[in-house]
Amino acid sequence: MSFREILNSGKFAVTAEVGPPKGTDIKEMIHHMELLKGKLDAVNVTDNQSAVMRICSIAVCKIAMEHGLEPILQMTCRDRNRIGLQSDLLGANILGIKNVLCMTGDHVSAGDHKGAKPVYDIESVQLLNAVDGLNKGKDMSGNDLKGATDFFQGAVVTPEANPIEPQLMKFEKKVRAGANFFQTQAIYDIEKFKEFMKHARKFPVKILAGFVVLKSAGMANFLNNNVPGIRVPQTLIDELKAAGKEKALDTGMNITARHIKQLRDEKICDGVHIMAIGMEDKVPMIMEKAGLI
Amino acid sequence: MIITKKRDFKELMENIKNYKSFFLLGCSECATLCGTGGEPELKAMKETLEAEGKSVTGTFVAKTGCQVLGTKVELKPFKEALDKTDCIIVMSCGAGTQSAVELYEDKPVFPANDSLFLGNMTRLQFFDERCSLCGKCILDKTGGICPITACPKGLLNGPCGGCKDGHCEISPDIKCAWVRIYERMKKLDRLQELCEVTLEAKDWSASQKPRTLVTREEKKK
Ligand code: SF4
Ligand code: SF4
Repeated sequence: MSFREILNSGKFAVTAEVGPPKGTDIKEMIHHMELLKGKLDAVNVTDNQSAVMRICSIAVCKIAMEHGLEPILQMTCRDRNRIGLQSDLLGANILGIKNVLCMTGDHVSAGDHKGAKPVYDIESVQLLNAVDGLNKGKDMSGNDLKGATDFFQGAVVTPEANPIEPQLMKFEKKVRAGANFFQTQAIYDIEKFKEFMKHARKFPVKILAGFVVLKSAGMANFLNNNVPGIRVPQTLIDELKAAGKEKALDTGMNITARHIKQLRDEKICDGVHIMAIGMEDKVPMIMEKAGLI
Repeated sequence: MIITKKRDFKELMENIKNYKSFFLLGCSECATLCGTGGEPELKAMKETLEAEGKSVTGTFVAKTGCQVLGTKVELKPFKEALDKTDCIIVMSCGAGTQSAVELYEDKPVFPANDSLFLGNMTRLQFFDERCSLCGKCILDKTGGICPITACPKGLLNGPCGGCKDGHCEISPDIKCAWVRIYERMKKLDRLQELCEVTLEAKDWSASQKPRTLVTREEKKK
């Protein structure tokens, strides 16, 4: 079943991500793909994540397909104008890429080419509209396409954004622009996430909760202080502390697995998205602990 | 107004190292308010150049340096000083500098300032960028706060995921433009308007350079 079919059938979907490397040596990336093969419903391929220049996501999506994984093409508006974005979307679609995640993209000032000109000709909501148009055989200027795309388009949302109201306004605009599914920023507080889901359930979209595994109490504090939209509750930080240095990573994986299991058992959302960030090899173990495989 | 900042003096000295005499042209509008091209700055520049062994044939603060014809008329009494000078240093914005370029075809003209942005003076010596001159104003839809300028990504439909506790992803010193817009529209009881409308991709052809505008009606013959 394709990722789209899985979500539409109501099955609990599991996605993870692969970050293209910087440079042409892709041995390690392919190793990660092989570890994930057959276990995931789809794999996100990031688009110059954190504005750090790397291999383009379309090429890596193609390689993921060759290694038996269904890709979700992440597409940001930072580096291409509307001509470049639509042209890349057409190109991705003829390569067989069916899922696209429309994002604004981190600002160039976060990355490794700080003097680059940020583009943002359009933004995530407008990109979703553009994909919807391409699916209907029209480009952004209303010109007819010779052959429409058949994308399953999604977007991102931050359930723990502070303040939350402007974020929810944008979420609703994304829904109206044709987003079928959402992958969220990492969540750590299931009760708070339930509140978000109560709101999200008013809309005909699928929600995949995002996870970033905590490796230590220090990492949890770092996330709280530095990463927008992430809030690790003190109880989890205490749990990591109590585990001690050696056991911290294990504990972090157990926390993730426990949360995923709860989301699935209580049917809180439609799936999960595990962002391993350098720990791709641990994803299968987390899935096992969560009872997903 | 146009916000300007003094250029690096070493760079300016490098530009003018082959010239001996100078005419200094300032501007009484923005550059005076920015402290980059008013009477005191021209006087200081004259003294600095003279200390470097250069001579200054004359100085003048134009009423409005970007007004080409007005500046031309105002500079008539300075004909002798301008004839004598090797080159002109303009202490206003890039537009004022190019008025001098247009008026004095045979004189080299150098800018003393960097032109930064169109902004507002919020208090003495504090300047904020507020408008990017996009050519098609959308302030009517965003509660009077310009997201094209106040948001580093120029987003038109709400905040990005980088907003942290109401502050912008690129700096904790900048308040997220979309949080400001949302709060203001809420205060004005116009939230529905903000949430229901999705702004379409902007038509950037309205800011295609170089732009010209003629507002004078041609007299009927
Ligand atoms: S919308 Fe355009 S014209 Fe209006 S304030 Fe912003 S940049 Fe200036
Ligand atoms: S945090 Fe707010 S102001 Fe900063 S880039 Fe994102 S939307 Fe724009």
